Amino acid sequence: MLIRRSKLTRREFLKWSSGLMAGVLASRVFRRPLAKSGEIALAASPSAPSAVPDIHLAATDGWIYLPGQVPIPGTSGQYYNPDPWAPDGLTTYMFGFRNVTGMTTQQMFSQKMHSQASAPLWWVNELQDYRLRLSNLGLQMRPDLIDEHTVHWHGFRNAWPVFDGEPHSSLAVPIGRSLDLFYKPRDPGSYMYHCHFEETEHVHMGMTGMVFVRPAQDGNPYTHNGRTFTKFAYNDGDGSTGYDREFTITLTDVWAEAHWDDAHVQLPDWTSFRADYNLMNGRVYPDTLAPNGNSETNPWAYDANGYLIPPPGRPELQWQPLSSLIEGESGERILIRLVNLSFFTHTMSTPGLKMRVVGKDATFLRSATADFTFETSHYIFGTGETADIIIQLPTVSTTTKYLLHNRDLRRLKNPGINGLGGHMTEIRVHPTGTLAPQTIPNTNPRP
Amino acid sequence: MRLTNHLNQLRRVLVLGIALVMMFIPMGGALTAPDDHAGPAPSVGLVCETDPNATFTLSALPGYISMADGNTIFMWSYGVGRDDFQFPGPVLCVNEGQTVTIVLHNDLPVPTSMVFPGQVGVMANGVPSAAQFDGSGKLTSLAQTVAPGGSITYSFVASRPGTFLYQSGTNPGIQVQMGLHGALVVRPALGANFAYNDPETEFDPEDEYLMMLGEIDPLLHQAIERGETFDMRNYKARYFLINGRTFPDTLAPNYASWLPTQPYGSLAHIYPYDPVTNPLPALSRYIGVGTEIYPFHPHAFNSDIIGRDGFPVKGPGGENLWEEKFSIPIGPVQTTDALWSWRDTENWSDTNPVPIDIPSDQNLTFGLFWGGTPYLGNTDTLPTGTTTFNQCGEFYHIAHNHALQQITGWGVVLIGQVTFTRIDPPLPNNCP
Ligand SMILES: [Cu+2]
Ligand SMILES: [Cu+2]
Repeated sequence: MLIRRSKLTRREFLKWSSGLMAGVLASRVFRRPLAKSGEIALAASPSAPSAVPDIHLAATDGWIYLPGQVPIPGTSGQYYNPDPWAPDGLTTYMFGFRNVTGMTTQQMFSQKMHSQASAPLWWVNELQDYRLRLSNLGLQMRPDLIDEHTVHWHGFRNAWPVFDGEPHSSLAVPIGRSLDLFYKPRDPGSYMYHCHFEETEHVHMGMTGMVFVRPAQDGNPYTHNGRTFTKFAYNDGDGSTGYDREFTITLTDVWAEAHWDDAHVQLPDWTSFRADYNLMNGRVYPDTLAPNGNSETNPWAYDANGYLIPPPGRPELQWQPLSSLIEGESGERILIRLVNLSFFTHTMSTPGLKMRVVGKDATFLRSATADFTFETSHYIFGTGETADIIIQLPTVSTTTKYLLHNRDLRRLKNPGINGLGGHMTEIRVHPTGTLAPQTIPNTNPRP
Repeated sequence: MRLTNHLNQLRRVLVLGIALVMMFIPMGGALTAPDDHAGPAPSVGLVCETDPNATFTLSALPGYISMADGNTIFMWSYGVGRDDFQFPGPVLCVNEGQTVTIVLHNDLPVPTSMVFPGQVGVMANGVPSAAQFDGSGKLTSLAQTVAPGGSITYSFVASRPGTFLYQSGTNPGIQVQMGLHGALVVRPALGANFAYNDPETEFDPEDEYLMMLGEIDPLLHQAIERGETFDMRNYKARYFLINGRTFPDTLAPNYASWLPTQPYGSLAHIYPYDPVTNPLPALSRYIGVGTEIYPFHPHAFNSDIIGRDGFPVKGPGGENLWEEKFSIPIGPVQTTDALWSWRDTENWSDTNPVPIDIPSDQNLTFGLFWGGTPYLGNTDTLPTGTTTFNQCGEFYHIAHNHALQQITGWGVVLIGQVTFTRIDPPLPNNCP
């Protein structure tokens, strides 16, 4: 195996040698590998799950586009990012999920090495019976790895191990196999999901996304401050969490060395972790402003091969379909569902606009005896936390732009590029009549 | 990636199997605490050092602890009495209103001191504990020091209930990171089974847990062991610990014989909530002793955040403002009290099966803790060659720092801030 660094430290030597020796033994004790790549045709065997799933996710690897350069120290003209092995126009090796619901078997298998960042967005209604199917397509770039994958719905209360996706206490899906998970969520709010197999690596490599639960109150009209809403963050009983438009913002980061390592059969020391890129919904600013891939009515549409359709004029964003651009009309209320799946704590702010934090970790900040929703100009939250934030947009007669960004200036740059980058997007407030009603989160439909 | 599994981790996991079996040896069995402790210690849960007069003798001592990758780390920490090095320092449990007296002997080669964040009116050798300055006005210590070989007596009134910590006040950047810290629990006047003087903070005393989250830069410890200086600008934590242990040692019982200087486990062991047989929640007392905010994420239940730094989370009218969190930020030198329980909301069983088809064995891989069926209290045979530590169909859920670089340790994955919650089937059950 290649040893990248010019000098091999004692620790690294131990890591390599014992890691390889232990591999055979440990795989017996830790998890029993029962499938190798190439057995993918067995997925349709009689033992495969039979009920029709509400969503079907496939786990695999892939490549995305991140601007700028991260040089490999001690070399000249060599870069962790862009990775020289990346396909044309792309830069960074990833693991991830794809939404393959409704695809033919052939289309699904064609998604190997076509994961997306961040993972597909999905949501469930309160008390809905919901089935998720996970299929493991394997890792195209790493035929030596036989990694399983799982889906962990992070924050699901009173979870049963069988559906929790933590592989020590539960089941994992080998390459070429599928498993169904069942959820009946009782608690509305914002959550996240990710693979929990070899979690430091698989989460950081991009198997991260958002899931949220709509409250039972949705569809019932409640009037708050003179406006009537039918969509709510929580079962508030008074419309105080009502909103007109909704946007999910998932924060992640990319340590370019770790991604390069995975493509080039190397191992990082994760305690040396650093964030070279700070991503919102799988993109960095200013790409966060680019439209959704596919269309404003179906960001998950795919072509005849099952591939995602890039945003107009941005072929390099084909595998980063989710826009972070927030648009609303004069006087509307928008709901921002914030998720932190990076490896650091972040402070997000909206200069010129007040945030009202109505929920944290899928819990309405109101009890039978107290209302502790609060207003702020910035919100600090750590990895694994979520927040539901309502912003009252001002009254405008011409389009007015605001920003949603990280207050930590280190998170507002892309490496090797002058100017702003990272965790930032725009909130555009338009005069009434500019936009059509929103039916899908993170879309900005025109009439 | 699968290749990162590690020989030492394998060894630990095998030991862990023994540990999980030993957990069920009744109290008074093999798991008694050292002689100078009041009695047998529980195999899981908070271990209190108590004294009727709240008077404790501690020593600041050098010693060694072991990491799950096989590394040995030189530490400074506190021992009970004169020679009983342990890391972290003993959990001192006192009652609200008691005058706490701590006689500290310094068996380190450097001056040291103790400070008690959150306490007021602390006396050191009879005078108010205060920051110390040299003749030029330069700060030398946060409290009066005790020279090597000497002793000093601290006292204060434990004026309010909650979770606190004690730590070195001298050169704390080095000394606290070297391990000079421990927990202080003040029981409220309302009773030892309450977190605060609030009936809603009642917890099950069988389910009280310490969660002290810390970190180690092995190069700092190596430098101190060699008598060298360490430039804190080069500080870089490489190991991340719960109660002084790395995973999977975190799952071993309190006072496990193979971890002689790291007495505190962090496996939680509960039963499902039941309004009649198990109505009270568990209490976890989180303490940050590192340099960063650790976002701690126990799977499968949310935690009611009922207190921070020994202050109950209440509004001006006395109403509870408890946030219900699935990821809990634990700041440095911050304490957080959390009530939690797990409820069987679905009641799935053999006769009320989960609404999916489980693929046949050869199409899945099974975790070490998987019992062979999805159901609480059921076990089934697993394919030949599959190892399981599941004993009686109990459930396990991981609880971990969600800054996932901090669940690794110096190049080895999954030896950081990770522990598990064990949920046993309701009694009567088939558990040993
Ligand atoms: Cu995975
Ligand atoms: Cu998670």
